[in-house]
Amino acid sequence: MIAGLVHSIASQPFGPSPSPATVPGANIFTSAFILSIAIWAPVLMAAVIGVMPNPRGRYDTLIKQIAFFTNFLVLFLLFVAYNQFQNFLPSMQYEENRSWLPAIGATYHLGVDGPAILMLMLSALIGIIAVLASLGIRTRVRAYFALLLLTQACVTGAIAAHDLFVLVLFWSAATVPLALLILGWGGPRREAAAWRLVGYWGAGTLALVLAVVGLYVASGGTSFDMDVVLKNPIGPRAEVVVAVALLIAGATRLPLFPLHGWARDVYADAPIGVSVVIAGSASRLGGYLLLRVLVGGEPDGAKLVAPLVAAVAAITVVYGAVAALRSPDVRHAAANLALIPGGVTALGLAALTPLSIAGSVLSLFAGGMASALIVSAFATLSDRAQTRNLAVLSGVAARMPKVAWLTVLAALGLLGVPLMASFTSNEMTFFGAFKTQPVGAFAVAAGLAVAAIAVAVIIQRVLFGPPNPDAPAVSDSSLSESWYLGLLAGALLWVGIVPGGPKIPGTDTPLFDPGLVNQMVANIPEISAPYSGTSATP
Amino acid sequence: MVLAPLAAFVIAVSSVRGRRASMNTAMLGAVVTLAATLLVGWGLARKTTGFSASYVYLTANVGLNGPTAFQNFEVDIVLHADHLTVVALAVIELCFIGVLAWARIAARNEPGPVRFQSLISVFLFGCVGALLSTDLAEMFSFWALAGGATYLMLAHRWGDEAAARSGRIALALPFLTDLFLLCGIAVLYSRYGQQNISLLVPALHTTAGWTVRQIAVAAVLMFVGVAGRMALWPLHEWLTGTAPTAPPAASAIALAAWPVVGVTVLYHLLPIFVASDVQTMRWLVIACGASAVGAGLYSLVAMEPRRALVLAGAAVAAIGAAITIRGFQFHAFTFAVAGLAAVYASAPARAAGALAASNIVNAMRTEDMREMGDAWRRMRSSAVALLGVAVALGVSAAGALAFGVDSRSRFGVVLGEAVFVLAVAGMRAFLATSSGPLRRRRAFDPDRVREAPRASLSWPYWLVVASLALTAASFVPAWLGFLDNGKHATVPASTYALWVAVALAGLAAAALPIGRNKDGALRASSGLALLPERLELAARNLLGRYVVTPAVRLVEGAERLVPAADAAVGRISHVSGRYTIAALQTGDVAVLVVMGVLLALLVALLSPAVLR
Repeated sequence: MIAGLVHSIASQPFGPSPSPATVPGANIFTSAFILSIAIWAPVLMAAVIGVMPNPRGRYDTLIKQIAFFTNFLVLFLLFVAYNQFQNFLPSMQYEENRSWLPAIGATYHLGVDGPAILMLMLSALIGIIAVLASLGIRTRVRAYFALLLLTQACVTGAIAAHDLFVLVLFWSAATVPLALLILGWGGPRREAAAWRLVGYWGAGTLALVLAVVGLYVASGGTSFDMDVVLKNPIGPRAEVVVAVALLIAGATRLPLFPLHGWARDVYADAPIGVSVVIAGSASRLGGYLLLRVLVGGEPDGAKLVAPLVAAVAAITVVYGAVAALRSPDVRHAAANLALIPGGVTALGLAALTPLSIAGSVLSLFAGGMASALIVSAFATLSDRAQTRNLAVLSGVAARMPKVAWLTVLAALGLLGVPLMASFTSNEMTFFGAFKTQPVGAFAVAAGLAVAAIAVAVIIQRVLFGPPNPDAPAVSDSSLSESWYLGLLAGALLWVGIVPGGPKIPGTDTPLFDPGLVNQMVANIPEISAPYSGTSATP
Repeated sequence: MVLAPLAAFVIAVSSVRGRRASMNTAMLGAVVTLAATLLVGWGLARKTTGFSASYVYLTANVGLNGPTAFQNFEVDIVLHADHLTVVALAVIELCFIGVLAWARIAARNEPGPVRFQSLISVFLFGCVGALLSTDLAEMFSFWALAGGATYLMLAHRWGDEAAARSGRIALALPFLTDLFLLCGIAVLYSRYGQQNISLLVPALHTTAGWTVRQIAVAAVLMFVGVAGRMALWPLHEWLTGTAPTAPPAASAIALAAWPVVGVTVLYHLLPIFVASDVQTMRWLVIACGASAVGAGLYSLVAMEPRRALVLAGAAVAAIGAAITIRGFQFHAFTFAVAGLAAVYASAPARAAGALAASNIVNAMRTEDMREMGDAWRRMRSSAVALLGVAVALGVSAAGALAFGVDSRSRFGVVLGEAVFVLAVAGMRAFLATSSGPLRRRRAFDPDRVREAPRASLSWPYWLVVASLALTAASFVPAWLGFLDNGKHATVPASTYALWVAVALAGLAAAALPIGRNKDGALRASSGLALLPERLELAARNLLGRYVVTPAVRLVEGAERLVPAADAAVGRISHVSGRYTIAALQTGDVAVLVVMGVLLALLVALLSPAVLR
């Protein structure tokens, strides 16, 4: 694959972007390989780190710097790509399409639409934050950061893939470095956590493979390209099977009840940087898969399973809230709370209205940030307090004010209070969902009320309750911890206050570009049918 | 107006450390907001139309086809200041300033002053934004922000377990009712694709496919949302539950501000409600009437003075809401604003009541009115303030009733009864704390009971004076005309006299039993209190038994089951893998053949059905 990629890169003349922008601030950087660079630069640097001699940890700092600047470069590239992105273009942008395995019709086809560019921004931002969260790693630094970069590459690849074969490869490959990271640097139950991750994500991958093979066979077995496979009509039974398989695949990642079994152990026992990657971007791939392939590609199948998705979304939110309330371990509580944004995303996808889908797209971003923040804030808190036991943790706010305030911001971001990005996404999702899934929307809203109680109880007990004299010594966050938590909180606040998102001055691209939604609505008029009135008077 | 409290919050959070500095910052924010409000009010004095300003907050194109209303999702910051909102804002800001000035002296020992004062600024920001908003999504954003700040203020004493427990109710109940409001807005949006009230109202009956049912559902949902925040009975628990445990300043601000914000937002939403049907409006009026009477009666059996006053105030708010809704229903807005005037008039008195009662409770070190007494001699200032509160609450609704209710109608009888009962309740709280002996108890010496610091005493008075002034204004048609730019007929003096007499009769009626036998009267109300307490307990038990416990059990079961199930699957796959490897190594062809056949059968059975 790499050889084919190198060959295709070598044979491609450098020129302007396939989607040259006309807005002010555009064309300051153009490349036909911007997506490939975003994917393969981390792989290349992982290889460099992997072969770099590092006797007795002499170059640990250099390795961390390489990882940081690689992610920074990717973020910069994607920021430029984001600002050159053409809104309302009914096709994929920054496309790269090379023949790869002609015998089975697999192509190296990359491309992004509105949701994808947003996901890429999320992934790149999470990459930098994960490196900052991992600065405390002292053992086997080389291997750790090489695996972290590989994870980053896999997530980026899965987002950018426009060929189902490539998607499956990147999707499944992401599991391996993550499992190794947990096994190598995780907490006391790291083995259980790693195997759970492999088991659930493996099952999800199997479901995805089944769905992809089903689609491939149904479309004539000539191509894995999404443009071919997803536009080919298939029978209603196959629609249902493919939709259910995709739902299983998405639900194992996002995660949704009852396929959330990995989340508690993984979020509780993975190193903080890895937890950030998983909660922030790797798990959001589940929602993205449902959006891109199920809702965008198989809308009839999506319509059939919509009630199921809405029910699962509601159960996930309520379950996450109640389980967090009953949890005796602060990191388990955070893991359960981190399920909630996934439920909101799923509700938007279940509703199948343009607004709810646009809300889901923003929810992928905001939910990823909020999940990563809540998981990492509680992890930092438990590290700094030297205990995870909620019976011991009490009244630590006075001794760790920075962590306390960041934890409060994490809780507010999770609940979706005004001025946080999650508020806008939740509002769009609810408003969009009320027409087609009113019960599901109300149940999710009620679940958020329970989540508010859970958050209030935990924060009251842990942060502002009476201090526990028998608890171990507590210290406030270090500079790097404050930075990565602050970046996550800052991103949530920034997008919440200015939902237009990060833009070069003068450009006019909203953060949650509805490119995919527009394409879908253009292709499937009945998506907007619920809004069309039938009678003029009651 | 909007930015001043936000700036105060940012300054308080970012660069203020001390108690005094934080209080000064919060006070500065409130004073600047009041100054801006008065400036706008001055500008409006000779205008009938309000000032408007709009800013784009969020515009997202979400579709290229379908109805045009749904192709874009827009949330605009649309701020509109008219006479009514300016008066509402001024009332709220006056209450904030009064309470802050009181807290400056009387709440010196409150923990976390910077946090508390910052939250007060956020709350003011949310209130100002909610009052000025004409876009429903924007209004809900400010509303929710103010709601979050209210919870954090009421649960400010985190270290106290009782405060934390009551704070949870202060979070859960209004959060739930806020969700009702959100759902109501979402129902409307899902039908009309419009959130700006001024554009939505004309579209309610002209959009294709509109149904009365849908508007009625939205109206009821939004009414519940507003009623929850106004703490109308029986949605009052979040304010009555926190009254004894929250900082008095937090309680006072929430008591004063939320009814004003709630009733004003209700007034803005009423054109939508009216578009539903007569039946829905009638039920909303009935609900408010029942709430007014229920709150008054509930107040009569409350044994904690702050709770009693909260409930008496809730009765006034319910009367105001009932008159406002009824005004829209039958008389094309002519007297709806009288209901608002009543709620505005009662707001400062409610704040003053919370402050004065907390002075007395703290000094007498008991929350039970049976153990209180003699405040008139020992704590004259607070007792007089409490008397003023009772009078102000009693008569605050009289003007509204005179304008909006036919005294001979059933509606008039119900609301008259509510006024009578709430006047009794307010006076009862005053008499129970101020008259009779203050008895010696274990570890309590009555002679050590003394008044709160002198510098804090004047503020409850000023609030009462403001309340009485607003009450007096509510009797004047010109005041109502100023509020809604309408013309209001003069009411005969006898009508005013009737309703004032009802209130005064209530005040006097409280004096009779307590004056004759205070202990017996309070014992009787304590006995009567058992019934609602038992009902409340039974409701909680039912909720716990049939909702909370099963849900928790289900979740706990899933918590156990999911890991057990995936571990079992893991074990099975591990064993089957080992068995397969063993079969491969030993060359056990039979096993491989059986597995192959099973797999082939599976594929053969599934594939034709799937791929057809």
